[in-house]
Amino acid sequence: MTTAMTSGRAPRTPGSAALVRLVAAREAGTRLRDRNFLISSAFILLLLVGVLVFQIVLNSGSDQTRIGVPTDDVRVAAALEVQSRALGIDLVVERYADEEAARAALAEGAVEGVLVGGRGREPALLVESGATPSLLTVAQGAVASIVVGDQLAAAGVQPQPVPDVVVRALDPQVDAGDERLVVALIGTALLYGLLVLFGQFIAQGVVEEKSSRVVELLLVTMRPWQLLAGKIIGLGALGLGQILVVAVLGVAGALVFDLVDVPGDLVGTVVAVVLWFVLGYAFYAAVFAVAGSLVSRQEDLGSVLTPTTLLLVAAFIVAFQAAADPAGAMATVTSFTPGLSPLVMPVRSAAGQAAGWEVALSVAIMLVAIAAVVRVGGRIYAGALLRTSGRTRLREALRAERA
Amino acid sequence: MLEFDGLHKSYGDDHVLDGVGFTVAAGSMFGFCGANGAGKTTTMRIAMGLVRPDAGEVRWQGRALDDDARRRIGYMPEERGLYPKMRVGEQLAYFARLHGLDAAAAGRAADEWTGRLGLGDRRRDAVEKLSLGNQQRVQLAAALVGRPEVLILDEPFSGLDPVGVDALAEALLEQVRAGVPVVFSSHQLDLVERLCDSVGILARGRMVASGPVPDLRQREAGRLLRVVVPDAPPGWAGGLPGVRVVAQQGGDTLLELDADADDQQVLAAGLRTGPVTHFARREPSLVELFREAVADEGAQVAA
Repeated sequence: MTTAMTSGRAPRTPGSAALVRLVAAREAGTRLRDRNFLISSAFILLLLVGVLVFQIVLNSGSDQTRIGVPTDDVRVAAALEVQSRALGIDLVVERYADEEAARAALAEGAVEGVLVGGRGREPALLVESGATPSLLTVAQGAVASIVVGDQLAAAGVQPQPVPDVVVRALDPQVDAGDERLVVALIGTALLYGLLVLFGQFIAQGVVEEKSSRVVELLLVTMRPWQLLAGKIIGLGALGLGQILVVAVLGVAGALVFDLVDVPGDLVGTVVAVVLWFVLGYAFYAAVFAVAGSLVSRQEDLGSVLTPTTLLLVAAFIVAFQAAADPAGAMATVTSFTPGLSPLVMPVRSAAGQAAGWEVALSVAIMLVAIAAVVRVGGRIYAGALLRTSGRTRLREALRAERA
Repeated sequence: MLEFDGLHKSYGDDHVLDGVGFTVAAGSMFGFCGANGAGKTTTMRIAMGLVRPDAGEVRWQGRALDDDARRRIGYMPEERGLYPKMRVGEQLAYFARLHGLDAAAAGRAADEWTGRLGLGDRRRDAVEKLSLGNQQRVQLAAALVGRPEVLILDEPFSGLDPVGVDALAEALLEQVRAGVPVVFSSHQLDLVERLCDSVGILARGRMVASGPVPDLRQREAGRLLRVVVPDAPPGWAGGLPGVRVVAQQGGDTLLELDADADDQQVLAAGLRTGPVTHFARREPSLVELFREAVADEGAQVAA
């Protein structure tokens, strides 16, 4: 009797959950140390940072206008601010003690113009060489409002406060969705990239197990579906983690640097993209795994993955087309088509063209499709796993499940 | 007791297994021999649940093997399989966990087996970086690391150098001493003869002989007689009743005697031709038993 053999507790039978967890942990752990995975992750993050920086640069170099006013007439500064708000011009009004100080600020470039001339003086806009249209418009408007006010007062008219105009949009979704659309498109691109990447990972993993014949050793301890579930869940957790990191960083960056007007819309769109990733991933992971199980060598993988990859590419193209015409028949139909909907529906709903029930229906169709793919795919996978010679036909695999 | 009972398997018209059955007692080693394509691998894969038999079953301790029971079996497939890019130690710990050990025990078991099979300093290396012989050791460790109750090994010795063969043989004998039944297939019949308590010989999907090695010998023993008669002419023993000449080279003659043939008559016949320098019954080696069994089977099929 050897002491080593009998030491420790006797092995227990691991349940399905334990087996799936073991497989998932191995998959995730292996990928986390895989150089290709790390490089691709770093690339995605760099891309995100790049987009953010680009947006910040674009925004900061924008139309902010600085104007100086001497404080001898308080009405000028106030009128300028009212005008700038009315005209939608991003104006900063710098107040100076007197005209001399304002001129000095203009000379050193702290302001683009100085508006002088209060009571009884001809108003003048002092600039270094020329006035930008927004500067001129806002100055003109401010002066006009002061003058009109003065004249009305001189005529004995007490000006009533002007009622604010209520904005009533006839087609509110046309422009309001622009920003959300951009976010949805960035999200879709990310989703596409991650689906392709993780689909490849899954298929390569399946073929690796077949080509190295380790699958025979694995199937002695577990059922094919447990192996498949572990693979999909393990890599899926990584993918979800990756998209969450991108989403959180992206949203946080956009909020901190004030890149969006309506943060609520941004968050809503991002959440939708993340949820669609989960659905799209479940679908494509199963399809890629089944495709991978049909071949025995990495070299043959390309041929069986092509149809699925093409479907993804088509979905990506359709998604962009949907951004241009979110109400069109193409976008509508494809946003319900399983496999295409994860990329198209986020764009359509970001454009405000999908009602709540439509999204719910599309999700339901997708869930049914996932169930079907997992069920049929699981059988094919089980039938094809132990056929390590050449390429297995679908029908053969379906028939041969553990023959 | 591990029982293989009446296994049948056909692929189309190809009858790969035709009623294969044998038993392996706890704490004994069973050698499984047979020509290529005889059905050894299929038999083992049926035991492991990788192939479904058309008929028959494999039982361990009286109960048909199911998924849970199979998890208690250490298996070495004919086509070696390991994750090429995974480290040796981690890989073994992973397999141990799949067989139901907890994380700590799995780690200890991986350390223990790598140490005992001479892989102690390769634990952190990826499997693909190891020589084929060392990969073979890892494969064996993968079969042993889950503290199996039964070992089923398909060609475990192929590709090992003599040192590796000894290390593996020692590891298997140790398992046997611990009460584990071991079944392994091999073409190296001398090894089977040296290690195994009993053997089974498979030919064309049928067990043509099985049982303890001495019993098999006994059955065949007494049939073969070697007589060296330097001056005898060819065919000197041909006319004797119940005697068949198996081979004659010069005076070195190998005869097969029927059960009722009289060996003293043979000696007398030999002495009539001149001096007899050698006269002895011969115990057949396993190789001869194997050839005999396979040849008989072939003759039956041909007839």
